[in-house]
Amino acid sequence: MKTNLLLQLTGVTVRPFSAAEQEELVAILKNIHLGVEQGEWIALIGRNGSGKSTLLKLIAGFQAGEASGYLDWSDVLTARIGIKAPIVMQQPEASMVGATPLEDLIIMLEQNGVKGELIAEQAAHALVRTGMLKHAHQPVGTLSGGQKQRVAIAGCLAVEAPILLMDEPTAMLDPEAAIHVHEIVRELNRSGIAVIWITQKLDELREGDRVIALEHGEIVFNGAAEGFYDRSGGGAAESVCERLGFEAPYVVQTVWELEKLGVQLTGLPLTPAALAKAVHSR
Amino acid sequence: MSGNWTLEEAAVYAVTASGNKRIIGPVDGSFRQGRITLLAGANGAGKSTLLETMAGLRALQSGSVALGESSLWEKGKRGKMRLNRSVLLDTGISLQHSEAQWFAPKVSEEFRFSLKPYKLPEVEQEERIRKAMKATGLPLQLADADPWTLSGGQQRRLSLACLLACQPKWLLLDEPTSGLDTAGVSQLLDVLRVHREAGGGAVISTHDLDALLPIADEVAVMEDGLLLQAVPAAEWAAAHASDGAAPQALRVLAELQRTGIEISRNSKADLWPSSSELARALASQFVRHPHEEVQEVIPRSVQPAAAVGMGHQASSDVFISEHRLQHTVTISGTSPYTGVSAAGLASRFDPRALILSYVLLAAAILMQGRWPGIAAAALLTGVVLFPLRAQIRPWIKVIRAYSIMIAAIAFIAGIQLKPFGFEWTNAQFTLLRFSGLLLVMLLGLPMLAMVTPLRVQRAIEQTFGWLSRFKVPVSSAALTVTLIFRFIPLLGSEWQRFATIAHARGKATTQLGSLPVAMLFPVIIPYIRSLLRLAEQLADALEARGIGNPNGKPTRGFVLQFTARDALLMLAALLSATLLIYVNTAV
Repeated sequence: MKTNLLLQLTGVTVRPFSAAEQEELVAILKNIHLGVEQGEWIALIGRNGSGKSTLLKLIAGFQAGEASGYLDWSDVLTARIGIKAPIVMQQPEASMVGATPLEDLIIMLEQNGVKGELIAEQAAHALVRTGMLKHAHQPVGTLSGGQKQRVAIAGCLAVEAPILLMDEPTAMLDPEAAIHVHEIVRELNRSGIAVIWITQKLDELREGDRVIALEHGEIVFNGAAEGFYDRSGGGAAESVCERLGFEAPYVVQTVWELEKLGVQLTGLPLTPAALAKAVHSR
Repeated sequence: MSGNWTLEEAAVYAVTASGNKRIIGPVDGSFRQGRITLLAGANGAGKSTLLETMAGLRALQSGSVALGESSLWEKGKRGKMRLNRSVLLDTGISLQHSEAQWFAPKVSEEFRFSLKPYKLPEVEQEERIRKAMKATGLPLQLADADPWTLSGGQQRRLSLACLLACQPKWLLLDEPTSGLDTAGVSQLLDVLRVHREAGGGAVISTHDLDALLPIADEVAVMEDGLLLQAVPAAEWAAAHASDGAAPQALRVLAELQRTGIEISRNSKADLWPSSSELARALASQFVRHPHEEVQEVIPRSVQPAAAVGMGHQASSDVFISEHRLQHTVTISGTSPYTGVSAAGLASRFDPRALILSYVLLAAAILMQGRWPGIAAAALLTGVVLFPLRAQIRPWIKVIRAYSIMIAAIAFIAGIQLKPFGFEWTNAQFTLLRFSGLLLVMLLGLPMLAMVTPLRVQRAIEQTFGWLSRFKVPVSSAALTVTLIFRFIPLLGSEWQRFATIAHARGKATTQLGSLPVAMLFPVIIPYIRSLLRLAEQLADALEARGIGNPNGKPTRGFVLQFTARDALLMLAALLSATLLIYVNTAV
């Protein structure tokens, strides 16, 4: 294994548990080869039912079905006490157990075997990093969806996971809260934590992200975000994004239209600001 | 008929532990027929509540809601407020998360459930179902399918189709694009256009302005329960072009303008140019001025000038949020978490002291066999509950129902058949017993609010921890108690959700609290299904956070300490109990 590799999946196939012996069920994941490096940002994309959540569970080490193949964790993960890599789910309500953010974190840390005398400090530090310290004692019922997600993220930080697994964390949030949560996780990523970010919102992709696209349980694309939108390759003038039936964000569509008119920009801008800069510098 | 919606000083309150809380209002405003109005605003601003209020699913605390000339609420025969049936029939509401709420075993019967209040002939029903399925892109073969077996996107479509089949003049939609794919969204837009052309109106609460702003006539913002003045969609778009959460096309225009690139547009009909229009405009600049600085290009601006100033604001917003993040981190560096320590949790009573005190008092109350004792117990209960009355308030209805039940049972107990008459001593005995029980119940009600799950868990672990040496799974049992605490409130809120859906689709004219008996039955199955789904989600979420791992070795982040306050509490309980027992024996 390469030194900076965090984990690696080799030839992993997952089938749902079946009651009947003979019945051959359609695999949820088929022959997955995937390595995740320390500190990288992976955007995991695919339609409902394409196997995204199952892949995330698998990486975290949960039994997600009848799996075959190999999952190798680096020493960083193997040496961990408690959970290897916690997942932040889509429903902010679902995962909260405590009556306040602080209680919730304490329960999570206790259950993950963190030493008792360290718990208060780790919990508080994690709340600081997600900007939730001032809400530490607020009843959970009075928190907004975005605040609950920040508590869930704080939980992952508190158990000092080297990787954050995010299962559509912004799907249930309003746009402002979604931007805030996204920005907080980007900040954590910049500090060296690897992130796997499942999303349906393509405008959450940034330059330099690695995109992994799943379709019917298979990885159909694994590469830079720029390549995901690339129309030039492969003969047919269609990008992976379009082939999968996703609508590209306005910025990318504009770039495509410019290409049609013979105007090539340097690099592929993914945000309004980057587009303006690319147009300006041309 | 139909017409415009008029809301005057409309306010909705909810009963909570801390008293009646305003959710929305006073709301003044109107929604005009033949227009599509978007409701924007943050989560929790009251958008959903406003839609539910217009559909009669929330009782008004004050003010009025009217559609055309008819008021939504009117006085019924026995002075009770009832909903106006014709307003309900003109209004179709789709609630948030409208998937997974099915009442019938077949898709076609699901339609008939919605159509029932309209009392249409069979032929017309068939025709409407067909049309609605077509308009929303549901294949007709699905009519015989079990709605629960449809995919998420198909269930969203079915929910819209059920609404359309009723052909209401008004559509009230809550987040209609969530869960829809690209094709589903464009079908939704087509449906809305057709609806508007036919003279219908719509009020749509949404975060998806990218999709819905282009077809909207007006945007009304809700903020902290208040409805702000609606503005034309184009005006709103111009003013919010640089918000971080604005549609991406608007932000592109604002960013381009900030770097000095103006986009000239021929048609002002649309809010923003299509990507090909924009590309053509940009490309034409490159062609005409291949060597010049782009800033000086194209003087004629069509975009409102306001956007220039907004551009700077947007960038500073981003700056502020990053700045803030760093700021809090540095604070933590200098003062290590003052105020937040596990000790802060122990500021309330120890659950062990609370439970023991309660058991003592309850035992003493149940021992009372005569009226003076019950009176003393009632007095004591009143004294204890007075400072906790806020916690009792949500239970008032239950308490009233229980009291009526006691009276009825006592009356029945008093009836004698041979000879027919009423025996007061029998009735009194029953009344005495049940009154004691009522008091014990009342004393117990605020307990849930006074302890938190974690503290109960710890109390169990600390009290029975020694049992684990004999292989008794104490900590698993304690964790289970915590989770039960977590699940109980969901039982009520899920029931409320299904009752609301049944009420809306069945066009019941009663107040929401009292669902007609005929509607109870179809609600039970989806309710139980939904609870099972919730439990599964909860289990998944716990596993995902490493909670309850059978191989894990849980630690303790804080320990309950029995303090002087707890001792005082128990002493008070002991004294009161002794006093009660004395009253019972002496008087």
